[in-house]
Amino acid sequence: MKETFFTMGVDVGGSSVKAVLMEYGDTPRVVDKHTEKIRKRNPAVVADESIDYLLERNQLRYEEILYLASTGEGEMVQRKRGHFYSMTTHAKGAHFFFPDARTVVDIGAFHVKAMMLGPQGRVMNYKMTGQCASGSGQFVENISRYLGLAIDEVGQISLQADKPERPSGICAVLAETDVINMVSRGISAPNIIKGIHLSVAGRIVRLLTSLKAESPVILTGGMALNVGMVEAIQEVLKESKYDFEIRTHPDAIYAGAIGAALWGGYRHLKLLQKESLQNQTH
Amino acid sequence: MKSLEEILEYTSQLAFDLEFRHARDWKAEDPTRVLIGYLPIYFPREIVHAMNGLAVGIMGAGDRIQIIKGDAYYQSYICHMPRGIIELALNGNLDNFDGFIFPSICDVIRNLSGMFQILGKGKFVKYLDYPQNFLSHVGGEFYRAELMHVIQEIEKLNGVKLSPEKLNQSIRLYNRNRKLIEEIYTIRQDYPWRLSAVDLYHLLRAGLTLPVEMHNELLETVLIHIQEDIGEEMDKIKVVVSGAFCEQPPVGLIKTIEIAGCYIVDDDFMLGSRWIEGDVDDTSDDPVGALVDAYLSQSTFSSAVYDIENPKSQRLLELVRRRKADGIIFAAPSFCDPALLDRPTLQNACEEAGIRYISFQYHENTGQFKVIQEQVGAFSDSIKLWEDMPLEAS
Repeated sequence: MKETFFTMGVDVGGSSVKAVLMEYGDTPRVVDKHTEKIRKRNPAVVADESIDYLLERNQLRYEEILYLASTGEGEMVQRKRGHFYSMTTHAKGAHFFFPDARTVVDIGAFHVKAMMLGPQGRVMNYKMTGQCASGSGQFVENISRYLGLAIDEVGQISLQADKPERPSGICAVLAETDVINMVSRGISAPNIIKGIHLSVAGRIVRLLTSLKAESPVILTGGMALNVGMVEAIQEVLKESKYDFEIRTHPDAIYAGAIGAALWGGYRHLKLLQKESLQNQTH
Repeated sequence: MKSLEEILEYTSQLAFDLEFRHARDWKAEDPTRVLIGYLPIYFPREIVHAMNGLAVGIMGAGDRIQIIKGDAYYQSYICHMPRGIIELALNGNLDNFDGFIFPSICDVIRNLSGMFQILGKGKFVKYLDYPQNFLSHVGGEFYRAELMHVIQEIEKLNGVKLSPEKLNQSIRLYNRNRKLIEEIYTIRQDYPWRLSAVDLYHLLRAGLTLPVEMHNELLETVLIHIQEDIGEEMDKIKVVVSGAFCEQPPVGLIKTIEIAGCYIVDDDFMLGSRWIEGDVDDTSDDPVGALVDAYLSQSTFSSAVYDIENPKSQRLLELVRRRKADGIIFAAPSFCDPALLDRPTLQNACEEAGIRYISFQYHENTGQFKVIQEQVGAFSDSIKLWEDMPLEAS
């Protein structure tokens, strides 16, 4: 396949919309990307604005995008040709970053999903956290807000911890009460944040072990860029004597959108092929 | 001509009018008119129509009312639909009905007919036992006697005698109704985006509370609209939904299946309206006999019917092939014995034929669809993305 064409992936997450413009071909290439916080706005509108933003910045028209795919909570995105499920797209995105990926952990705002991959980025098995919010990115964001910290700085602050204090790992509500107690007991912000990271990391490691995960493990989603989180996962793995290689990628937050754009390209070619077969039959 | 949006807005209101206002107003126009309520799945409405009556489908209360009294009538291991219907009856929503038909589906419906009798609802309550023998001189005779019983009960109510001419005319109208519905399904098979599954559901469900003449007009108009190139195609798989013939899925569930990446190209939601395949003879001197013959030889397949000579698993596979569907979604109400007993047989047939499927259960008042959405979405992705990628190759 020598010709290339444009696809777009739009990942509507719990807290932000990620959009990726891709040039699809034998060697797909990310042309441009954009993240927009939802901030209590209508996610469909934010997604629509993100699409327009990328189109405008790259001087493209919507019609030039041959497959616009949504993922995550993106069913409400109006301008799209198809929708793929977040596990499918995160798996594909991780496989794009690291073709030897065997396991992917998508740490999203509301859920953590661990997936085992086949060689082509196909999801072979998965496990996800339950309904409780204490194992999710949103939980970390809430705690950082209580402590007056920006979410972007909690990773670095967590690295400064010398005596981390773990909260109750059972329930987000109880954990938040724990944090209030910690503050009144004078526990430092780095130690609280590190404790929170260790608590979430504990859940992730339990997911990995119950899935019988294999190395390398790729972290995707917004939390994958949080250095404190990555370090906490590595610490818990070490404590538990598990030997997994943990990898992240600078574009980890875009894994879902990249996966959607890649699968979109695949589907576009597939549909063309089907159409051509049908025309031959008729 | 009304716009498609106007019709769909009207039918969405009508489909879930649990006060049955339209039927009540229709009855009030003429003192000889009668309202006969019938439960899922099938009842030959032609008979009621020919006797100056309106057969109104009572499909349950869905997720539209809170069940308070109904729960006292049924154990926790019984499906949800009869609770809603008892609730409606006890709340007075069915007070304008003159009689009730309970087609034989399962023990729960039989018990519900008994409860209606004890509660004194309607002027007659008939448990209509459908034959499971398809020989004309055995099951046919039995079924004719059952229909004659209904005819006598209606005659007692309004004094209207059933004439062959009138019944043939009614059969003609219902033939038209079935044909129009089938034509809509045929268009949707190739262009499902022109009319969503939810809109189609409302359109058909509204038809259970309207005189057939009015419903035919609506169907004709919708048909004209969807023959046009409207809507925009999305990259979704095509599925047949099976198992939801009695207790109806909540509209949110139908919507969820569609937004999760599937076009529903056939289903058994409003199966009674599509029960007879093809036309019933409308020229017979014995139109009751024509209805009996149609039941014996032109019935669709369902878990409430045990036609050993014509296995339903084969008929389901045939339907999937005819609709060019990519897979089947087995969606059955919790505790629905007929649907859930049939499921393993149907699934085995799918596996042998290499047809992909998923299964889940619902209640008519299910409110959380996230898990179903994930399941349906993963099903859609697996067909779209890995249809040519065998598991071994991965």
